[in-house]
Amino acid sequence: MVEFELNGEKQMLDVALDTPLLWVLRDNLKLNGTKFGCGVGLCGACTVHLDGQAVRSCSIPISAILGRSVTTIESLGGEHPLQQAWIEHNVPQCGYCQSGQIMSAAALLASNNAPSDDEIRNAMSGNICRCGTYTKIRKAIHTAANSEVKMFDPNEEGVG
Amino acid sequence: MALSRRQFIRNVSVAGGALSIGFSLSGCSTHGGPIFDTSSFQPNAFIRINEEGQVTVQIHKAEMGQGVVTGIITLIAEELEVHPSAVSYEMAPVHRAYADPEMALQITGGSASIRVYYDILRQAGASTRAILIRAAAEVTGIAESELYAKNGRIFASKGAYSASFGELVAAARSIAAPTDIKLKSRADFKLIGSYDRRLDSAPKVDGSAQFGIDAGPEDCLVAVLFRCPHFGGTLDSFEAKAALQHPGVVDIFQVENAVAVVAEGYWPALKASEKLEIQFTPADNALRSSEQISQAMTAAFESGKFNSVRDEGGLQAHTEGSLVEAEYHVPFLAHATMEPQNATAHVTDTLCEIWVGSQSPDIAQDIAARILGRPRETVVVHNQFLGGGFGRRTNADNVAEAVAVAARIKRPVKVIWTREDDMRHDFYRPATAGRLTAQVAENGAISNWKHQVVGPSINQQLFPMMGKAMLPSWAPTGVLGLAGDWVSKEDFSAVEGAKELPYQFDGISVEYHNLQVPVPLGFWRSVGHSHAAFIVESFIDELAVAAGVDAVEFRRRHLPADSRQRRALDAVAKLANWGQAPAGVYQGVAVHESFGTVVAEVAEISIENGKTKIEKFFCAVDCGQVVNPDIVLDQMEGGIIFALTAALYGEISLKDGAVEQSNFHDYQMLRHNETPIVSVHILDSAAPPSGVGEPGTPPAAPALANAIHAATGQRLRQLPLRLS
Repeated sequence: MVEFELNGEKQMLDVALDTPLLWVLRDNLKLNGTKFGCGVGLCGACTVHLDGQAVRSCSIPISAILGRSVTTIESLGGEHPLQQAWIEHNVPQCGYCQSGQIMSAAALLASNNAPSDDEIRNAMSGNICRCGTYTKIRKAIHTAANSEVKMFDPNEEGVG
Repeated sequence: MALSRRQFIRNVSVAGGALSIGFSLSGCSTHGGPIFDTSSFQPNAFIRINEEGQVTVQIHKAEMGQGVVTGIITLIAEELEVHPSAVSYEMAPVHRAYADPEMALQITGGSASIRVYYDILRQAGASTRAILIRAAAEVTGIAESELYAKNGRIFASKGAYSASFGELVAAARSIAAPTDIKLKSRADFKLIGSYDRRLDSAPKVDGSAQFGIDAGPEDCLVAVLFRCPHFGGTLDSFEAKAALQHPGVVDIFQVENAVAVVAEGYWPALKASEKLEIQFTPADNALRSSEQISQAMTAAFESGKFNSVRDEGGLQAHTEGSLVEAEYHVPFLAHATMEPQNATAHVTDTLCEIWVGSQSPDIAQDIAARILGRPRETVVVHNQFLGGGFGRRTNADNVAEAVAVAARIKRPVKVIWTREDDMRHDFYRPATAGRLTAQVAENGAISNWKHQVVGPSINQQLFPMMGKAMLPSWAPTGVLGLAGDWVSKEDFSAVEGAKELPYQFDGISVEYHNLQVPVPLGFWRSVGHSHAAFIVESFIDELAVAAGVDAVEFRRRHLPADSRQRRALDAVAKLANWGQAPAGVYQGVAVHESFGTVVAEVAEISIENGKTKIEKFFCAVDCGQVVNPDIVLDQMEGGIIFALTAALYGEISLKDGAVEQSNFHDYQMLRHNETPIVSVHILDSAAPPSGVGEPGTPPAAPALANAIHAATGQRLRQLPLRLS
């Protein structure tokens, strides 16, 4: 029996311990938002968060997930600043890589809330886009980063 | 795609005026298209409106990122007077009403969706609007000339009357479409040319978008196939005892020259397949390695056996000036769509259902029907979003596999290809070579342009498959092989872009030698133009150097003054500040027409530690009337990045009749940190729209190679480009 937390909920599954997290998500839990692209961690389509870090779920066996916390694209709810920025900038073409792109971008912004162009390029280079949406991805990340700054409310923490 | 039935289909479809397949003169759904529900108003195969006023559009082209969902809805919405974001859409079923009038198949390709359907879809919207106005006139007694449509409602120009489309549905259902329908003039466009949103973004950012790999019944089994790695090879025997014992495995059996492992999920199927012991025998043919194919190309040039595809002015016996000659080679290329190939099928006694992302669902339906020996009407194809197409998803080999497995296992089953399967069992862009000679006079005039093309014919291979889907199921198909052979002598897909050389030279000869290879071939984004533009525009650059003339100026001098190529060249030269690059930055240019669209590109590079760094790319595009400007920019930038990936990294090589590459470590993709800034200028034009899906691709490799020559003096005549 495998136990871990997925998008805030506890999961308990009977699944072979060497099954990659990607296939537990897709085949056992029917969460298809995370995609299969290469199976060897080179394309980034399978990117999810493990304890807040971006990881390639195709290359992590479920045995390494026991007791830990997984977040997938489904948890962003569709209204996340990155998703809104993605829509504002018309980012997706075919769309297949975009779940992975957004999860990588979310991890970047969590650790660096005002990345430069080059910081974005380097952080996002693990995610292949065959349609070539890289430039718009970069613009959308800037937009999301700026909107998060705007969301700060100085009254919230009793400042001043 | 010029196919023999094309002329017949065109004559049928334009008979009786501008109405086309999928239309009727009546509002009551006798248009020959599918009926979706009997209570809606459905005046044609593309539009239905229900009593709540919800407009639903059938998307009969494959959405693979090029934006057909948005484009099709925009064209209809412009005339129907609804906002595009208020329209819902469905992927159309397979039906003759959706067969492309030029290609005679329900196929997406040739950058043709908007070009071919520009008038048809606007007419669908306009005639639907006209019926609704007539319905309002009948209901109210107000003259049609005093009624107009706006935002999903009909209004009276005088007085307070207004009704939603939904309120008029009941009356509209019994009204025949007026025959004197006028389409909007360009000056009245509210959407076409300016609407720049995409309509399919939301599901693609929240994980809910369904691709072929996601779709199908929830209780699907999964199959992984172990296919013969050698093209044309055979499966001799296999031992499945160990594999059958792997937990989760349901069954293992042979399908053609592959072994199918069916299991509860992808992982057990994959792990079990690794326990198979299989014996394959490679095909016995002479061209099993890349070296052998290369030698065969050289031998083909030496043979002198060519079919002329263009012969103008006769080759003169010029003796003055210098002879420039060169030989170019490009390799096989894989499509490498982000979504690996897959298909899901469920076969019962009476029905076969297929879930797949396909560029040609009718080819899929035909192949399934033939495998099962059943009528086509018993095969239902549910088309999905495609995680990349680029021509790969025209083939229905994935569907054939899924249907064969599903027929045997009698439960819904999803066949998933690994990335390695996808890389090694593709339908590749053909390896092709070109030998060119031309005479350069003292004054820079060019004569005796001779271009010999050596390469295999895609259409010789694919014509039988496509032909079967075009014909009625009872028609004998034996002759299709002969037709394919005949087509191959002058295969447009091998010589396009070379044959239509736009430059005004004194004597032009283009010849083709069909070198058959035992490698599956297919349409790869821009097809023949993907190699023709590299070869032609690189050699043009060699002539410019020989003539001592600037690369842009040389091209301008040999193009008619009013040509679209010259206009695009001038635009891109201005955009790129041609000739003004700072020290250490070098530029190269190329211009090429494909699929009715002219694109000129400039590459701007620097050399860092012997490696090419692509700083910027500039692009000027003339695609006629723009429908969605943002999508045009996307397709240019996307087409350029696709081309640069191939130009820098793309090479599929063969050994023992099998592909050597397997995944993204040995078939690399251009990544975010290697992608240049791309600037695109769209030239204004009121001509009917031409395509944008593919035309951005051909000029990119030659522009880059020409920039590399400017930077280093090295003339690279092979792809991928490698500096020595």
